Amino acid sequence: MKPLPPTIRTKKRYILAGIEPPGTGADQKDLYHAIADAVTSLFGDIRAAAISPAVISSGPDHVIIRCTRGGEQDLRIALSTVTAAGDRKIVLRPRATSGTLHALRKRLPQEVPARPEEPAEVHFGGRVYIARRYQGQKVDLMEKGIKRQELLFLTQNDLEEL
Amino acid sequence: MTVADACIHPCPEGDSSLRRMAVEAGELGFDSIVVPDVTPFIYSGVRVIPAVLIAEESVRAVSGQLRKRGGGQSLVMVNAGENGFNRAVLNLKGVHVLRNLCMTRKQSFNHVCARQAADRGVAIDLDLYPVIHASGRTRQRVLVRSGELIRLYSRYRFPLTISSNARSVLDLRSVEEITLLCSLFGMEEDDVQAALTTVGGLLNPPAPVRVMP
Repeated sequence: MKPLPPTIRTKKRYILAGIEPPGTGADQKDLYHAIADAVTSLFGDIRAAAISPAVISSGPDHVIIRCTRGGEQDLRIALSTVTAAGDRKIVLRPRATSGTLHALRKRLPQEVPARPEEPAEVHFGGRVYIARRYQGQKVDLMEKGIKRQELLFLTQNDLEEL
Repeated sequence: MTVADACIHPCPEGDSSLRRMAVEAGELGFDSIVVPDVTPFIYSGVRVIPAVLIAEESVRAVSGQLRKRGGGQSLVMVNAGENGFNRAVLNLKGVHVLRNLCMTRKQSFNHVCARQAADRGVAIDLDLYPVIHASGRTRQRVLVRSGELIRLYSRYRFPLTISSNARSVLDLRSVEEITLLCSLFGMEEDDVQAALTTVGGLLNPPAPVRVMP
C-alpha cells in the first residue's frame, strides 16, 4: 500500500512524561487507560477524540505519549490530573514535547531520574517496610505484604531520627 | 520573591514527611510551602511557613481562635462559609487568607466581599485538590466557582493564593502544571505567577517607610 504523502498525514506531537515514584512498574495498558480516562473526564469525548492520546512506549520511570498537533496543551493538563494507573498511585510529570519521536528519545537519557539503590528492610511504627533510597536524600518505604501495602515518602534524615 | 504552595498537609495527615515534601516542592519550582501547625524552618533551600487553619461556623468562634492562635509569624487561614460569615471574617484583624470558597454556595462570595478583600488585603485561596482529584459534577462545580472568583479578581484585584492541599508528594504539582491547571478556569499565566508570590507579601505587608534617627 502506498503511504500517505507527509503533507496530508495527521500531524502528531509526542510528550515525554516522568513517572513518580520511579520503579513502580506501572503497566503500559494501565497507563493508557489512566491517561485516556483523565482526558475524557476533563475534556469530554469529543475533545478526547480530537486529542487521540496513545501510549507509544513506557519504562520504569518514563512514558512517551502521542497526540494530535494542537492537543498537546490539553493533554499536558490532563496528565496533571492522573493520580493512579491500575491500583498503583502515580503522578505523571510532563518533561518535554516534540514533533518527532527521534528528537524526544534523544532527550530521554538526561530525563531519566537516578535509579533507586538496592531495597532494604526497615522497621517503622511496628511494621516492616522495604526502603528504596534514591541518590540524594529521598527514601520511599513500601509496606511488606501482598496487597494494600502502605507507601510512605521520607528522607534519610527522617529515617535516622526514628 | 517567594513562590509558595499555600497549603500542604504532611504526616500524620498525609503519607509524606515534611522534609520530603520540602525536597519535592523545591524540585517542582517552589521556594516556600505553607504547612499548618509547624515551627518555621528551612530545609533543602525551601522555607516552611507555619499556618493556622481555622474551621469554625460562627464569627465569634473564629474571633476566639484568632485571639488564641493568631499573631506571630503564622499565616492565618479561615475556612469560608455563607456570605454574611465571609463578610464578617474579612473584617477581622489578623486574617490573612479565606479558603475553601470553591466548596461554598454560589453567592457566598460576591462583589461586596471581593471589594472588602481587596481593601483589607485578605487573600482568597484557590484549592487545586478537587480539580486534580475530583471528577464529574464535583469538579464541574469547582471549575465554575473558580471561574467566578477569577472574574471578580479581574475586576477588584484582591490578593489570590494557590494551594495544592497535597497530602502526599504525589499530590504536589509543579509551577508549570499549576499554570496549566489554572488555565482551565480562565486564569492567565501572569495572574498565576502573582498568586504564587502572594504569601510572602501577606506575612510582611508593605508599610510606610520610617526614617530612623
